[in-house]
Amino acid sequence: MLTEKELQRYDRQIMIYGFGEEGQEKLKKARVFIAGAGGLGSPAAIYLAAAGIGTIRMADHDTVELSNLNRQVLHWDENIGEEKAESAVAKLQKLNSDIRIEAIGETLTEANASQLVADSDLIVDAMDNLPTRYLLNKTAIEKGIPFFHGAVYGFEGRAMTVIPGKSACLNCLYHGIAVPKVKFPVIGVTPAVIGCIQATEVIKYITGLGELLTGRLLNYDALSMKFTEFKVNRDPNCEHCGNL
Amino acid sequence: MSAEIELSSVFGRYTDKQLNIKVEGSTVGECLKDLFRQFPKLEKLLLTREGKLQHAYDIYINGESAYPEEMTKPVKDGDKLNIVFIIYGG
Ligand SMILES: [Zn+2]
Repeated sequence: MLTEKELQRYDRQIMIYGFGEEGQEKLKKARVFIAGAGGLGSPAAIYLAAAGIGTIRMADHDTVELSNLNRQVLHWDENIGEEKAESAVAKLQKLNSDIRIEAIGETLTEANASQLVADSDLIVDAMDNLPTRYLLNKTAIEKGIPFFHGAVYGFEGRAMTVIPGKSACLNCLYHGIAVPKVKFPVIGVTPAVIGCIQATEVIKYITGLGELLTGRLLNYDALSMKFTEFKVNRDPNCEHCGNL
Repeated sequence: MSAEIELSSVFGRYTDKQLNIKVEGSTVGECLKDLFRQFPKLEKLLLTREGKLQHAYDIYINGESAYPEEMTKPVKDGDKLNIVFIIYGG
């Protein structure tokens, strides 16, 4: 049941055709794991908190650096040197005090990923490196929970939604290829767009509205201001999801 | 066969800012060869020394992945090719 305050707070989205109080209750019950409190994680978390996701788990092992602030909008000048997970949770809790927000400051590893994701209903992939993205993809598939991928480079970004066993996963898309992690260029408005696309997909999945970005890689080229879609098929030999 | 290669803006520095490039060829490999003839700097970026497509790139033909064995995939008149590189930043 929604409280009187919640009915007021979420009035405008409850008004959306097909959303209703039922949709809002679904968001309230949802537990979302956001891997990364950086450029993508910031906008994704802000909009998911504002929308009334009942439980948000923010995972990030880094501390805030000055060079993060052009894009990681959950962190401010005053937070330099603080843990990102804690800094993010403090802002999100101020934005919406009615929801539960947890900070996870640990590094995601093969050994602890499943335990840290715990009973979350879905994973938002807002990481900054390929190995951890693959690890989270695998964890989502093992748990049978959806995985919302997003990535950025400069003025370019990408997103894809993965429903384990039903649509292509990140490993199907990139064939397990490893590329060395290097410092990448990026301006804040790019992850702002992609992080919001990921949050939109999360809201659509939880409320059951619309058509998900499954089996489709959405490419956003901000400089030519074009969205392009690529079809992504499941790989029957995929090491992560081929056996499903 | 005449096809079009569509590139994202990030490639513009190698192509005098052209992002839609007409190429001739009946396979992906031939189309890429024609692309490199027009913009030689792209060859080193996209191909290994052995002439294979670098791991970090994927080719799509009319929105569908050409993986694996991309270079030998047939290209028809009017096809659109996209070159997509792996991005992982967050
Ligand atoms: Zn897969």
